[in-house]
Amino acid sequence: MSLPGTKRRKHAAFALAFLMLFTLLSGCGGSGSQADTQNSGKDANNGSGPNNAAPSEVSYPLQTDASKPLTYWAEYGSVKATMEEVPFFQEWQKRTGIPLKFVSPPAGQSRDSLNIMLASGDLPDMIEYDWFNFPGGPEKAIAEGYILRLNDVIDKYAPNLKKYLQANPDIDKMLKTDSGSYYTFPFLRGDPLLQVYQGPIIRQDWLDELGLKVPETIDDWHNMLTAFKDKKGATAPLSYIFQSEFLNNGAFIGAFGASHTWFQDNGTVKFGPMQPGYKEFLSTFRQWYAEGLLDKSIANVDGKALDTNITNGTTGATVHNSGSGIGKWLPLLEEKDPNAKLVAAPYPVLHPGDVPMLGQKDPVYTTGTNVAITSKAQNVELAARLLDWGYSEEGHMYFNFGQEGVSYEMKDGEPVYTDLLMNNPDKLSPSQAMSLYIRANYGGPFVQDKRYITQYLALPEQRSAIETWAHTDVDKYKLPQITPTPEEASELAQIMNDVNTLVDEMTLKIIMGNEPLDAFDSYMSKLKTLGIDRATEIQQAALDRYNNR
Amino acid sequence: MNKTAFRAKLIRDFVTNKYLYLMMLPVIAFYAVFNYAPMYGVLIAFKEYSPLKGIMDSPWVGLHHFTTFFESYYFLRVLKNTLIISVYSLLFEFPAPILLALLINEVRNKTYRKVVQSATYMPYFISMIVIAGLIRDFTDSGGVINTIYAYFGGDGTAMLQHAGLFRPIYILSEIWQKAGWESIIYLAALMAIDQEQYEAARMDGAGRLKQMWHITLPGILPTIVILFILRMGNLLNVGFEKIILLYNPVVYETADVISSFVYRKGLLEFSWSYSTAVGMFNSIINLILLVLANWLSRRITSNSLW
Repeated sequence: MSLPGTKRRKHAAFALAFLMLFTLLSGCGGSGSQADTQNSGKDANNGSGPNNAAPSEVSYPLQTDASKPLTYWAEYGSVKATMEEVPFFQEWQKRTGIPLKFVSPPAGQSRDSLNIMLASGDLPDMIEYDWFNFPGGPEKAIAEGYILRLNDVIDKYAPNLKKYLQANPDIDKMLKTDSGSYYTFPFLRGDPLLQVYQGPIIRQDWLDELGLKVPETIDDWHNMLTAFKDKKGATAPLSYIFQSEFLNNGAFIGAFGASHTWFQDNGTVKFGPMQPGYKEFLSTFRQWYAEGLLDKSIANVDGKALDTNITNGTTGATVHNSGSGIGKWLPLLEEKDPNAKLVAAPYPVLHPGDVPMLGQKDPVYTTGTNVAITSKAQNVELAARLLDWGYSEEGHMYFNFGQEGVSYEMKDGEPVYTDLLMNNPDKLSPSQAMSLYIRANYGGPFVQDKRYITQYLALPEQRSAIETWAHTDVDKYKLPQITPTPEEASELAQIMNDVNTLVDEMTLKIIMGNEPLDAFDSYMSKLKTLGIDRATEIQQAALDRYNNR
Repeated sequence: MNKTAFRAKLIRDFVTNKYLYLMMLPVIAFYAVFNYAPMYGVLIAFKEYSPLKGIMDSPWVGLHHFTTFFESYYFLRVLKNTLIISVYSLLFEFPAPILLALLINEVRNKTYRKVVQSATYMPYFISMIVIAGLIRDFTDSGGVINTIYAYFGGDGTAMLQHAGLFRPIYILSEIWQKAGWESIIYLAALMAIDQEQYEAARMDGAGRLKQMWHITLPGILPTIVILFILRMGNLLNVGFEKIILLYNPVVYETADVISSFVYRKGLLEFSWSYSTAVGMFNSIINLILLVLANWLSRRITSNSLW
């Protein structure tokens, strides 16, 4: 090449040398500052106070320095743009006397933004998150130094939670890890009525018209769906969101003695998709799909598609929630057809009179919205006092019902929500209005009150649905909230990622006829090569440890 | 050339061009701070990274994350899918804006030309979420495409449930979304072609097609080659947002690519080290392809990036 070319190349060489130098320098600087942050703020729970000492009581509101707010990270959806504007959070600070600064991730991205926040090491004082399902488990979150082990903190500063745990040893057991660490201020369901909210839902008016009764067995379901298709012109008689949230709760699958996930049988852990019953389930659904009883787009159904299917009469049966299902669809249906009715059906079984093996039932300790105090917390005592307030009598009423005279009134000694919530003047739906004044419909650090649900489920259909769905053996078969050790947890996650990919893929492929039913057997042997036996071992060990807690 | 001569030349060059070097400083600083400084972060691919310990103090694990990835049951499938989608997009998506630019160039009516151009580059500005929503709606069992198909006797199931249709849907929608925008650079290159060449060609009796073949195409060939080489460097970076938004377990077979696999595994599990290892693997392959493409093109067309 010509001279200018070589000249240019020399420039480039020089520039490159420059860059290398820069890279080296900045590399060293960065690493130093990273290392510094590692040890700070870890000492808060090092002193091991005596376990039986009664924690000190305080009277709220506390006298605190208003210029030093605690930072609180949470995902919270409401009609307000920020959490600061939500009246609930304003009044919470007033009542406890503790100023707060809120940090929220964009809606639906809590996992991603928590990920980034943790990776940056720049943590707020408190984080409201599903710490039970933190990758690697809560023990790992503590061991990595993100959140504090709360045992001493609870002993010293959380008299109300402490009292509750002492009175409820079975719940106490759920909240700890195997090694006895507390890690969050939990959200707890205060009544069995609050634990069940999901199950099969059917068009009652279609049943009446066709002279059918609410189906009980798989055969009844087949008859009913066929009638829906032939006589009501439903093109997707049965349609539901075919993803783990709905599959794991066991509708249909449970009838065959299997599950879509882990379950226990007399203390033995089993993986549902490996049970012979799972193949029967696949074979039945495969047949239903071929007969046009199951939504042709089953792999693609999401909430929006389901709403459309239900409201335009494409679908006559589904599996969904009482609140966001029945409560949402019934008014929409009635607008189009005054006779339209929805009814809850029991979880299907094989033989009349059987008790369904599985069904949706949340544990008392639902893990979604639990508040941890981070290792970077500036004032651990203040954070603990704030969170403990939710378990006090005043806090209980406040979290569940809000402010007296604003969001509820006492009538005959019972709190009754006002029209501000139930019949909002600004045309907000009850759940939208509630999210501004209470947290009973959202979870958080408190015990949920059953007097919330009896008022929230406004329709009689919704209330009877819960009774219908609650009648299952799920307590016997569902795994309790077991915690693998951090090492086991990462091994388990490694295995289950491949396993879940395979199960999801094969389940749908077999049902939709893309793979023959016999493919089930070869896919079982693939599960073995993916290490499912090792995963079962880990789960079994964790269950044994749980039972020995 | 010996060492002293080189140094003397360097100093002389530095002195004569000192303002040029000065002007280069901010640019160098930019790259140093934003592109090179973060690079030491790839170290975590060889470590069990924990943010609170920091990059330097996290324990070394050697090639553990790489072997985990290579030994994964799905490694070959995601690699294959990534390569196939990339090659398809190179074959079908890369020529699309060139064709579009050539066609637009032939349009003589100015207003019509403006309208076509605006209409074709508009989709580029729609957010990916919305695009994916549109695609899902169009291809759904009750969507436009299926309604037409059912009219002619098709069975009308959602198209995104067919493993065989995933790649065509992906590529076609990419073309629809990006061809208009990407054609702009070619149109700019077309402007630079000397109009006298066309006149001369017409004198010699060349028709429209001949002109396009012998003048227009060679005219924009350098642009095409450069963009092609740049593209090779990004070959494996399949747009993962779109895949995540469109796929479902039935089409994993053809749709699951490295980035979506890593998303399901790495990001959702907070395994930063693992994701970094896979990302690094991806970049190394991209680098090799880039160097290869550059070398090839220098050999064949004597056009090259460096």
